[in-house]
Amino acid sequence: MRSNRMGWGLLAPTLIILGIMGLLPFFYVLVVGFFDWNVVSATGKPIWTGANNFRRLVFDPNFLGAMSRTLLFTVTVVVSELVLGFVLAQALVKEFPGKSFFRTIHALPLMVAPIAVGATWRLMTVPGFGIAPYYLDRWFGIDYNIGRYAEHAFATTILMDVWHWTPFVTLTMLAGLSALPKEPMEQALVDGANRWQVLRHLTLPMMMPVIITTTFIRLMDALRVVDEVYLLTGGGPGDSTRFIGIHIWRVVMTWTDYGYGSAVSLLVYYFTLVLCWLLFIALTQIGRQQE
Amino acid sequence: MFRWNRVLGFVIVLSMLLTACAAPAAPAAPAAPAAEEAAAEEAAPAEAESWWAEAGAPYAGVTIRGISESTPPSRYSAEVLGQMFTEATGINVEFEVTSWDEMYNKPIRDMEANTGIYDFVYIEQDHIYSYLSRDFLTDISALLAEHPELQSPDFDFGKFTSFIDNFKQDGGIYGVPMEAFIKPYLYRADLFADPDIQAAFQEQYGYELAPATNHDQYRDIAEFFTAYGEENDLELWGTTVQGHTGHPSATYELVETILPTFGVYNWGINLDTWKACVENGGEMNSDKAKEGFAFWLDMLQYAPPEATSSTWDEVAATFAAGRAAQGWVYGENAAWIATDADRSVVIGNVGVANPPVAEGVIADAESGAGYIGYYDGGAFGIPYSSKNKEAALLWVQFIGQESVQADWAAAGARIVMESTFDDPLIVEIDQKVSGYYTLMREAGPLYRGAAPLPFHNTLRGNIDTFIWQALAGEIDAATALDGACVAAEETMLQLGYGE
Repeated sequence: MRSNRMGWGLLAPTLIILGIMGLLPFFYVLVVGFFDWNVVSATGKPIWTGANNFRRLVFDPNFLGAMSRTLLFTVTVVVSELVLGFVLAQALVKEFPGKSFFRTIHALPLMVAPIAVGATWRLMTVPGFGIAPYYLDRWFGIDYNIGRYAEHAFATTILMDVWHWTPFVTLTMLAGLSALPKEPMEQALVDGANRWQVLRHLTLPMMMPVIITTTFIRLMDALRVVDEVYLLTGGGPGDSTRFIGIHIWRVVMTWTDYGYGSAVSLLVYYFTLVLCWLLFIALTQIGRQQE
Repeated sequence: MFRWNRVLGFVIVLSMLLTACAAPAAPAAPAAPAAEEAAAEEAAPAEAESWWAEAGAPYAGVTIRGISESTPPSRYSAEVLGQMFTEATGINVEFEVTSWDEMYNKPIRDMEANTGIYDFVYIEQDHIYSYLSRDFLTDISALLAEHPELQSPDFDFGKFTSFIDNFKQDGGIYGVPMEAFIKPYLYRADLFADPDIQAAFQEQYGYELAPATNHDQYRDIAEFFTAYGEENDLELWGTTVQGHTGHPSATYELVETILPTFGVYNWGINLDTWKACVENGGEMNSDKAKEGFAFWLDMLQYAPPEATSSTWDEVAATFAAGRAAQGWVYGENAAWIATDADRSVVIGNVGVANPPVAEGVIADAESGAGYIGYYDGGAFGIPYSSKNKEAALLWVQFIGQESVQADWAAAGARIVMESTFDDPLIVEIDQKVSGYYTLMREAGPLYRGAAPLPFHNTLRGNIDTFIWQALAGEIDAATALDGACVAAEETMLQLGYGE
């Protein structure tokens, strides 16, 4: 009984901080989501509007467009980073000259703040001055302009994210691969299995917990990307790189539509949870089948 | 090897420490008053100093926090005036100089939540209506009347230009102007004066090359210099375009700079009915507006490639880099483009004029029914939520003294007092900037600030996408404005206007 009380006592500071920093804002956003509240409206006061903000979402082309773009972006970058990261980790797990140097260089983007990544990529890609449009035009005759062509801007956001976050995937995969027992692989090779069979039937199933965790982290990060993209394109041209994070920022900050912005935030939060849950089920099923 | 590493490490750490400990570069000191005036005015500064010290004594050690946009005038007030104020009064100034978006977003949230983070805020002329509609600002004139002991002898609302009228409501004054400038038409005086270029232009278009006074001339000049740049392998284009396809500056360029020159004022919004579409009495999608937007989009072909990534800052940088023959450039940049050799390659070669306009616009501007361009600027105000109103009151008076205006104007091309135009320093600089200050003084009344919309940021946010899509070539001008006017009306209706 005494130790139980002591346990709660030790936990209390954490629970209080978690409540204040996590739960309180969440419930605040939940409540605001049921109000029509715009700071520059004729009244300026919050007006109870029931589920109207949530109903608006269903028919809002800006929201739906931002959501679908975000999904496309997320799927592309997460898959690319996982594949690239795994391949690089496989290479780095072996010994070769200059391995430490390469690993350090490869991890450098991780140390750069997203806002600085966005600014740097903007400097490299800004039409007229940037190194990328200059050489793409000079060497390949490509009129690369992220301020004008939606597809150029979208592809550049993907490249930037992959450049920034692949090292994270590589490092987590490398940690996972280094921790795997060597005996099962050696036994399989002795029994005549080729490298592909070892990878498919041993390495991948044993790496599944690491893959799932890394996928979740990157998925949630990619779904709420804001600063890098905002610095690079501002969400443009038009709305071609206006991902859901930037859309929420615009609704809340620019339009000062707090009620609707809260509703969008909640739905995106719910959507992220459901997506992670579905992914978790899918990946664990695949893992079981492989076992 | 090990020893060398240690020595190298020691040197690096030592150099970092020395760098960190080094005193920051002292800001440029204001120029001394002219020698002939010095004798007569010798006693005045000492008196003023003692007044500031006395008035500031009860608040010595207090820190007032403020926020402003990162512009040359704001940076001058943060780096130079802030330090001068602290030395004079003992009141510390913590000044956040940030992006345009944050300059608006942060204070409005502070005031909405009544948190009192900021003691003074930059009020862009566009934003004053939003703030006043919610009673977010302190009436400075009333606060001064309440505290006569804090009334500086060198401060007088009557000394400001008519720009201060933007910050008045119901007899109260809610902001002390800190910057004001027109957005003129800049052109490359050296290229326009080149006899060979003049002859070639005359031959091609049948009239003399001169600063454009109407849109057809502007288009001809843009086309001519773009071709001239190509033929001579120069990094030169015919015009600037502030057309960032993901930044609010593009919409502002359209509604506040381009459309007024076509006779479409107040963003095309009917301020009596709060309607934007032609069928409801607005003008946002009128033929004139569509013609104006199409003209601007057409200019993209004569603009440098960075045009669709250019905000107000990049447009100035483009002109300063000698990459455009003409363009609309915010006046705050005019001085440094024309005089700062570290940042501009066109010093001494910048011409300034009123922008080209359609027929009838000058008459509208002279009668007060319209305007030919944007009169930009802002003031420092005191939020109602400030916890140090009295100390902030001293600060806004400090920056509103006649004695600090000339150096500030030289650093940031801003003028808010009539007397500053006659200051010898400004008269001298005026010649270097091809008469920008004279133009501002004489033609200033033809320019006007933003439309009195209490919700202009929200409204703009809802029409941005249409403008950006048109700039990216996804839709044409007419489609964009038809969509924008509907979105504008929906927004206004949602905000409780125009029902």
